[in-house]
Amino acid sequence: MLLEVANLSVWYDKAMLINNLSMGVDTGELVSLVGPNGAGKSTLLRAITGLVAWERELTRRSTHGEVKLEGTVTFDGERIDQVPAHEIVKRGLILCPERRRPFREMTVIDNLMVGSYLSKDKDEAQNNLDKVYELFPVLKNRTKQISGTLSGGEQQMLAVGRALMSKPKLLCIDEPSTGLAPILRAEVFQKIGDISKLGITVLLVEQDVSTVFKMTSRNYVLSSGKIIAQGTGEQLLQDEVVRKTYLGL
Amino acid sequence: MNLIINIIIGGLISGSTFALLAIGFSLIFGVARIVNFAHTAFYMLAAYCIYVAAQLMGLHPIWGMLAAIVLVALLGMISYKALINPIREHEGAVLIATIALAMIFQEVMSLIFTGTYLSVPALIGGYFKLLGVKVFYQQLLTFCAALLVMVVLWVLLMKTKLGLAIRSTAQDREVANLMGINEARVAMMTMGLSVGLAAFTGAIVVPLTVLEPQMWGGPLVMMMAVVVLGGLGSIKGSFIAAYILGFAEALVVFLAPMGAYLKGSVALSIMILVLLIRPEGLFGVYFEEER
Repeated sequence: MLLEVANLSVWYDKAMLINNLSMGVDTGELVSLVGPNGAGKSTLLRAITGLVAWERELTRRSTHGEVKLEGTVTFDGERIDQVPAHEIVKRGLILCPERRRPFREMTVIDNLMVGSYLSKDKDEAQNNLDKVYELFPVLKNRTKQISGTLSGGEQQMLAVGRALMSKPKLLCIDEPSTGLAPILRAEVFQKIGDISKLGITVLLVEQDVSTVFKMTSRNYVLSSGKIIAQGTGEQLLQDEVVRKTYLGL
Repeated sequence: MNLIINIIIGGLISGSTFALLAIGFSLIFGVARIVNFAHTAFYMLAAYCIYVAAQLMGLHPIWGMLAAIVLVALLGMISYKALINPIREHEGAVLIATIALAMIFQEVMSLIFTGTYLSVPALIGGYFKLLGVKVFYQQLLTFCAALLVMVVLWVLLMKTKLGLAIRSTAQDREVANLMGINEARVAMMTMGLSVGLAAFTGAIVVPLTVLEPQMWGGPLVMMMAVVVLGGLGSIKGSFIAAYILGFAEALVVFLAPMGAYLKGSVALSIMILVLLIRPEGLFGVYFEEER
């Protein structure tokens, strides 16, 4: 397994957001995490990419309550649950966060360059940039534009492009289609399919189950911080309970 | 005519010093959300450094300036590490800690140098006449040095990797962190840069002013007014607002010499007026809302 999560639990104050959860993603897979709002999908991605541990450090020094994290996360054969967030990206694991979150006051090219912040080699950064432009030609035409003025769809492309600049082995994407018009959603999903075809492993959190299940090799259904079902899209859609209770179809 | 030239010179010099102070203050606020009330106290320390080097040790003031910038920037980083970093997530506590720090610096300087007014010789003496108005070379030097440093800072922020890290951390520290930027280290380096700027300002201004342990109070108020007027966290805003208030101050001083003591209140009134119309300041900056 490229990514292996074992017995992971996360608490924010008294609330247990992830409850003794185990899951994994194999090299080359496109796996989705689906489930109702508040199921803990984003928290799981944040825990995997080190942001929960980072928040725990911050809250230790403040009065804003307590964050707790138990269990292990293994990536590429090494435990990463104790590694600071800013070092996890070096190992080839990156999150494209919820709500896209481009650096709004910065240009498109600067946003992308932050993505390749860790690459020491200029040629390598340029090479990554060429690949991202190939995947998202729309960004190439807007290199000097301030990213806050891009449309929602373009901002999503930028956020994914920025994540790809770090040359990840595993790309986690949190709700890429939220707030986009249907035609843009289709485009975003198509791009995610393209990324997967390039050999990058993808872990995708999405609400739009009907589209996602057609693309993925496996899926996890999350509810109340637990995995309550897993399997191919077809299998999950045949399961009456999962379909009605958790997917709302 | 003389009056106009005097106002222009006065406005440019005050504006440049306010700009340098406010930009340094904005930098560390932007990156680490630290409201550093001790910012101008560091400026005061730098001024004393130069006094020690030039008047007590008999060195050329330029050595004092270089030493002041390095030593004070180091002191800033040490204060950050020891005092501010452990309480950084409590905004109120940081505020109190930096005020305390400023008072400590003031009292220590009072103990060592007493409260007497001291002065430092100009780097270059003499003056030239511009349309009949005396312009001291030191004034010209101060202004040029301030502009030069602002250009260098712009290049640093816009063209280097450290600049990229500073700008992205200022906008969204969580995502910057995610992209591999060590946010804690960037904050530390920004603190050094910010305090270094304050020290530099102290260094270039000190030949034009008198030294005393309370000299940080006035500039602090003006700097805050500049930062609020320009929009908290906006460097461009700070730059423009600094010259607006710098010229306002010069206008009051030269047009109403009897009312020179009003210069602070005029500047603050401008700030209040602008805020009534634009509460986010002239160039309010978008900050990613933190969770």
